[in-house]
Amino acid sequence: MVLLELYWSFLLIGFSSFGGLSMVPQISRQMTEHGWMTASQVADILVIAEMTPGPLGLNCATFAGMQTAGLPGALAANLGAMTPSLTLCALAAVFFHRFRNSRIMVDLLTGIRPACLGMILGVAVTMSADGYFPQGQVNFTALAIGLLDLFLLMKCKLSVPKVLLLSAGLGVLAQFLTTV
Amino acid sequence: MKKKNQLFRLMLEFIRFGCFTFGGGWSIVAQLQRTYVQERKILTDRELMDLTSVAKSLPGVMIGNVAMLFGYRQAGILGGVVCVLSISAPPFLILSVICLFYEAFRNNLWVSAAMNGMQAAVVPIILSAALSMTRASVGNLPGLAVAALCFGLYLTGAVSPLGLVVLGGLAGLAIGEFYERRGGHGAS
Repeated sequence: MVLLELYWSFLLIGFSSFGGLSMVPQISRQMTEHGWMTASQVADILVIAEMTPGPLGLNCATFAGMQTAGLPGALAANLGAMTPSLTLCALAAVFFHRFRNSRIMVDLLTGIRPACLGMILGVAVTMSADGYFPQGQVNFTALAIGLLDLFLLMKCKLSVPKVLLLSAGLGVLAQFLTTV
Repeated sequence: MKKKNQLFRLMLEFIRFGCFTFGGGWSIVAQLQRTYVQERKILTDRELMDLTSVAKSLPGVMIGNVAMLFGYRQAGILGGVVCVLSISAPPFLILSVICLFYEAFRNNLWVSAAMNGMQAAVVPIILSAALSMTRASVGNLPGLAVAALCFGLYLTGAVSPLGLVVLGGLAGLAIGEFYERRGGHGAS
């Protein structure tokens, strides 16, 4: 039953990972062990996952599912990857809602909030290093688009979808200017 | 009937978020911040940071966890399920189509130019959300120290995100205990 196997694999991947690139080794092992993807296909999907909306875990689920069992496979794999959110996180939501005003929870959150903020800023720095300064060089196009976007988001309060669409357009424009 | 309308509205909103979740799960936080904190004012920065922290410290796909936590807050378990399924539908459909001709997609110059542009937008999106949540998240001086420490530790890569959350939690307990003994209010 390949559908069940897909569901189960991505369920395991989901429960044993904390999102983003930390999923890669897990995904890579499950995919190659089952013979669903070759190592180079896993590398490809990483590129495509970055290019399309949606997090890596879900995009891998869709891709692996489509490769092995078409649309039903993709659906089964996606459900597997989403199962932790639908079960464990649902429990956490109930629990969190009930105890969020208790003293311990308030104290915990007082420390966790800044920790999480520090982590988000850390993510922004690592992503900047990769995106704007690849291999120690400055990617001027990306940097210019990034700075413009930051201005539009902070000062002009432009919405996230608009900023993304505008940036896509600017990317195409920059490519057009360099090719012509 | 009112409940049905609310679920329907959540569904549409999360489908829209799902179309624009680039850069891992973090841009979802920026979208929630814009829509629910700034525009509709039904969520505070502090509550959003709480949801984000809980979502990040649980296993699974982060956008799924954020969607579940927010959906539950708005409309119970059913709300959570609706949000999770809605936010994962667009990436699923888009990638399903792309899979059919993925080599052509991957090698197309114009597609990758557009994607490079979008990639450049991810950092400003995350950064703008983080900056506008700074006040609500940090609170007091020890909080600032925790943020700086976790920022540094994240960059060294020595501690996992879960480890950072645990560290923050312990620091929070210690800070709370300290202010309790002094008889004042720590968390402003």
